[in-house]
Amino acid sequence: MDFSLNAEQQLLKDSVDKYMSERYDSEQRRSYLAAPKGFSAAVWQDFGNLGWLTVPLPESEGGFGGSVVDTAVLMEAMGRSVAVEPYLATVLLAGQLIANGDNATLKERYLPDILSGNCQAAFAYQERRSRHQLDAIDCQLERNGDGYSLNGHKTLVLNGAIADVLIVTAWLDESIALFAVPANSAGVHCDAFRLMDGQGVANVRFDAVQLPRENLVCAGAGSMALIRRVLDEATIAVSAQAVGAMEYLLKATVDYSNTRKQFGQPIGKFQALQHRMVDMYTATEQCRSLLVRALCSNSIEQGDVQTQAQAEMDIAALKAMVGKLGRAVAEEAVQIHGGMGVTEELNIGDYLKRLMVIDSLFGDQDWQRRRFATLRYQ
Amino acid sequence: MHATYSPEERLFQDQVRSFLRNNFNAELAARIREPETFKSATIEWQKKRFAKGWVAPGWPVEYGGCAWTDTQKYIFDGALAEAEAPDVPPFGLKMVGPVIYTFGNEEQKARFLPGILNGDTWWCQGYSEPGAGSDLVALQTRAERDGDDYIINGTKIWTTYAQHADWIFALVRTDTTAKPQQGISFLLIDMRSSGVSVAPITSIDGEHHLNEVRFDNVRVPVANRIGEENKGWTYAKALLTHERTALSGIAYCKQVLNTVRRLAADENDDGQALLASPTLQARMADIEMELMALEYTELRVLAAVAKGGAPGMESSLLKLKGTELQQAVQSLQFDVAGLYGSVLPSTGLAMGHDYGDRARREYMFGRACTIYGGSNEVQKNIIAKFGLGL
Repeated sequence: MDFSLNAEQQLLKDSVDKYMSERYDSEQRRSYLAAPKGFSAAVWQDFGNLGWLTVPLPESEGGFGGSVVDTAVLMEAMGRSVAVEPYLATVLLAGQLIANGDNATLKERYLPDILSGNCQAAFAYQERRSRHQLDAIDCQLERNGDGYSLNGHKTLVLNGAIADVLIVTAWLDESIALFAVPANSAGVHCDAFRLMDGQGVANVRFDAVQLPRENLVCAGAGSMALIRRVLDEATIAVSAQAVGAMEYLLKATVDYSNTRKQFGQPIGKFQALQHRMVDMYTATEQCRSLLVRALCSNSIEQGDVQTQAQAEMDIAALKAMVGKLGRAVAEEAVQIHGGMGVTEELNIGDYLKRLMVIDSLFGDQDWQRRRFATLRYQ
Repeated sequence: MHATYSPEERLFQDQVRSFLRNNFNAELAARIREPETFKSATIEWQKKRFAKGWVAPGWPVEYGGCAWTDTQKYIFDGALAEAEAPDVPPFGLKMVGPVIYTFGNEEQKARFLPGILNGDTWWCQGYSEPGAGSDLVALQTRAERDGDDYIINGTKIWTTYAQHADWIFALVRTDTTAKPQQGISFLLIDMRSSGVSVAPITSIDGEHHLNEVRFDNVRVPVANRIGEENKGWTYAKALLTHERTALSGIAYCKQVLNTVRRLAADENDDGQALLASPTLQARMADIEMELMALEYTELRVLAAVAKGGAPGMESSLLKLKGTELQQAVQSLQFDVAGLYGSVLPSTGLAMGHDYGDRARREYMFGRACTIYGGSNEVQKNIIAKFGLGL
């Protein structure tokens, strides 16, 4: 048992913390958001130059071969600054699906560019009726000569508007298949918008999109297992982001309380507020503990069914608690910042928005709690 | 970062489980729970652990502790919870023992540590007073020097198991002119001394755990003082940190949750098992997820302590969250018992569950856990001031 980062992970942490502290204060963040793509191309290129885009991808595909721990180190730092770069969509979702799929042609075509920062990607898996059910979809692939024809709609595709390639789930015969769809294919219609936390998303319509056989990422029973694994790791990653955001909010709120004066003294001297900040601290520590727990159980080879179930329960517990307590911490931070907390002059609202988006992503607190209960009590 | 066990650690886990199979069973557990047999059964259980050399995992080896890593301690606690075996009372092993081996002199160590380890001496804690609860430094019990003795006068309250105790460790005021924190000394007092009297206090579970202990011109040799005169608060503070860490009760919560799961699987809930109820499952899940988190919070604190950090506000966090969870599992246990949980034992053999009585008693006495050891509100003050810098 050992909860410390290894030397390599510590170096990664030092380097990303340093970068974010120099390049990602809240004013810089707002200037990145104002760029046409909704994030800074220069920052993305820095991510590529610093090797961060390679972190989770397997060594066999030119990646760094990091574990969920390495990814969490990066994501936590990005959470602390509410970063708006599409690391989740391009690297952790689409990149991982391609890298862990079984199509060598696609790997060669996309991964080198993803790793160097020259390709944006997205995972299109949600439809209007899906909510969190992965197979509640209607997108359909039909055989058409040597290839396939894709029809259907996807909603809320993270990074969908600027992605060069979309990894799309659709029915093929009786099972769900994953297909790589170049965004410039004829019949792809994209409706771009933003989420409140700054992330770019899109609704995408596929109108008889013609796809060659070689664009198949994965089909049959293996594709669902691949999707689940990638989404589970992404769930840990966004939870790490949430923990970073919670720690920032706690610190910012304590600092503010020690300087803001009312009734002749700093408001941090009032016990009613002190106890609320202690609750923020407890919530943050509890979430960090669940993060450590999930990182430990998910960074080893899953030996048997029991450890596998335990690892899954750890993810469900982590995401349920981060969803619930992340929002609670952010709401308290707004409250204690008073009137200023509800303005866009302060950045506190940015964190509230990100934490709310994280709760809704990949199964919200109620859904994850039910997932936990099903694994544990049935 | 990993939480896996090495082959040696798995072997150790097997040894602990095997020890528990051979030395602990439901019959002993039941005797420990019953007030009439509590003391003798508790000592019996402590002696079995002492004989194996596994009674004081947290102590340095030179004083009779175990040369265990944090992981081994964690494995040991986990195995206790699996076997539904309680820990032994903390007053000797977790509270006064560490103070004696840290701040006591050689003679005191030789005299007191063996009895603490083998269970021959039962200790109780004399801290709180009628006018000094969470505000402990307001204590008024006086110790006046008379030759080689102190003469003690005053009253201690909420003294758990004083009726069983051979010795009491007490905070007494040796200087009334100094600042409150600076006039306190730490004394070890023989409960058989002339002038010591114990009056029972019945708590809302109907049981006698608590007492008021009065000192009426009690003579205590100066040789029974730990460390320097008027420095007792320093020693007590070190101990309080240990005490709060000991109060997290994670193993206990796991035991109760295991019981609740077993019972809820048998209870009828409108035609299906109560355990299948989505509302019960949601409630249990909320508690279990917090507990899973707290377990790792404790492990993270232990790891930090092993690397030389002192458990400061983290020990307050463990006390705070741990006691909240204890009350949550006690409420759950009571609710799963249904109205049978309200049946008083004096009404005879009512039809119902044999756990109803336990559910009621644990719920009722459990209301105390957010109050003792420094109330949870005081813990929040400590975290706010020393942890967050407010």
